Amino acid sequence: MTGEVVFAPVRALAEAIRARRLSPVALAELFLDRLERLGPRYNAVVTVTRERALTAARRAEREIAGGRYRGPLHGIPYGAKDLLATAGGIPTTWGAAPFRAQRFEFDATVIRKLDEAGAVLTAKLAMVELAGGMGYRQPHASFTGPGINPWRPDAWSGGSSSGSGSAVAAGLVPFAIGSETWGSILSPAANCGIAGLRPTYGRVSRHGAMALSWTLDKLGPLGLTADDCGLVLAAIAGRDPADPTSARRPFHYDDRSLAGRRFRFGVLEGVTKGCEAAVIASFERSLETLRLMGTVEEVRLPDLPWELTARTILWAEAASAFEDLVEAGTIAELTAPEDRYTAYARDAILAKDYLKALRLRGVMARDVDRVLAGLDALVAPGRATAATPLDVEFRSAVGGMAPDPMGAIGNAAGLPAIAVPNGFTDAGLPTSLQFMGRAWDENTVLAAARTYQALTDWHRRHPPSG
Amino acid sequence: MRPVADPEADALFALIRDRYGERLTEAQLADLREQVASIVARARPLRAVPLKNSDEPAQPFAPFRAEG
Repeated sequence: MTGEVVFAPVRALAEAIRARRLSPVALAELFLDRLERLGPRYNAVVTVTRERALTAARRAEREIAGGRYRGPLHGIPYGAKDLLATAGGIPTTWGAAPFRAQRFEFDATVIRKLDEAGAVLTAKLAMVELAGGMGYRQPHASFTGPGINPWRPDAWSGGSSSGSGSAVAAGLVPFAIGSETWGSILSPAANCGIAGLRPTYGRVSRHGAMALSWTLDKLGPLGLTADDCGLVLAAIAGRDPADPTSARRPFHYDDRSLAGRRFRFGVLEGVTKGCEAAVIASFERSLETLRLMGTVEEVRLPDLPWELTARTILWAEAASAFEDLVEAGTIAELTAPEDRYTAYARDAILAKDYLKALRLRGVMARDVDRVLAGLDALVAPGRATAATPLDVEFRSAVGGMAPDPMGAIGNAAGLPAIAVPNGFTDAGLPTSLQFMGRAWDENTVLAAARTYQALTDWHRRHPPSG
Repeated sequence: MRPVADPEADALFALIRDRYGERLTEAQLADLREQVASIVARARPLRAVPLKNSDEPAQPFAPFRAEG
């Protein structure tokens, strides 16, 4: 069974489960075994939730046998980034040594919704400590060790949803839930050669998720395909009274045939500036495919401080979110040396500058919406570089060391984006393409990514699997 | 690298050193000084963008009332 299912998309697994050709219990056992056996190879796992998984899998099996089929996630194993609260004595560590033993008595809303969909939680997945909010500059920034890329053991998985990326890429779980404040879904998706969807801010409830930046945090799915991401988003999206920022707009995944659909894509002027040669080469090849799908035009945005705005908001909110840790000096217990003191610098962010950033955010959101109103999506490389070596400082856009206009614009304005694989470097590391859409247009970016994947086969390539 | 004199950055760094200095090594303080200088330097382009009184922060506040 292993070869048939380990890298099967969620939809294929769902069809097999619904037709009762595949047992949810057997599937859970398979992935639990892989998590326990292979998870340590990638530092991907914090806690394997074996007991909870088998209980859910047995329930799924009983229900399906009794004719009660909940939907495409019924009986499907998944992993959750370890900033999502899980009840039942399962630790929720936030990737940080001071919180190794932290436990919550409730499930995050996303976890509860996935339970209701019949999905099977098999693991809490590794992450960069405190989702990267303390200013990490290199991969050794988690008490579980650096996230290791399944494509090369000397390369970083990306972060901060490190385990969510590597676990899906290595076939340890069919899908995972990650989070993005700025880059933390798209980075591991790009580095690990899988699909990662950052929904519109407010699309998915943040209740029960560690907060890094209240107005930038988004929860979203990572999977082998764009279609998988759509199926998962359908299960986790929706208004939640426990999260007042969650939107009242419902989401229904539109997975209808895309035959004949033509897209209008925009490319920001200069968007490949600072990108690695292999990333640029993959992007230019992708543009050829995108021209088969519709039109591609260069666009410009007003000359505004997009990245400074996003960075100011992120740092100011992170400083407040973790004020108790900073004031108590607990950050001295964090793993990355730079995480043990960098947060103190953020006392230098003045309230008037934070408020200026919030005001600029509104101006920017309207400006980018005017551009996106005439397009289906902006396209760009998923990341400027392929996965970096484990023992090298990376150039961080959040730290201001590397340009990331798409990340700044997309996250500051709360826009949806999906990253999908689009090639490899000479060193065998994945490169990535992103589609970023207008607010609430997840179906459009998903449609674009699905169409791209129908014309390419990068998503069918997988790293060696033990 | 010796930081260029910046009274605002100096004042803010002095505040941080006063608050947390006893917890920090000289190397950490040196790095923080550079980071503070960077924060201040990067705030300036933000401050330079002219906005109108009607450009409100993009963060809606809604008064809370419990259900029931």
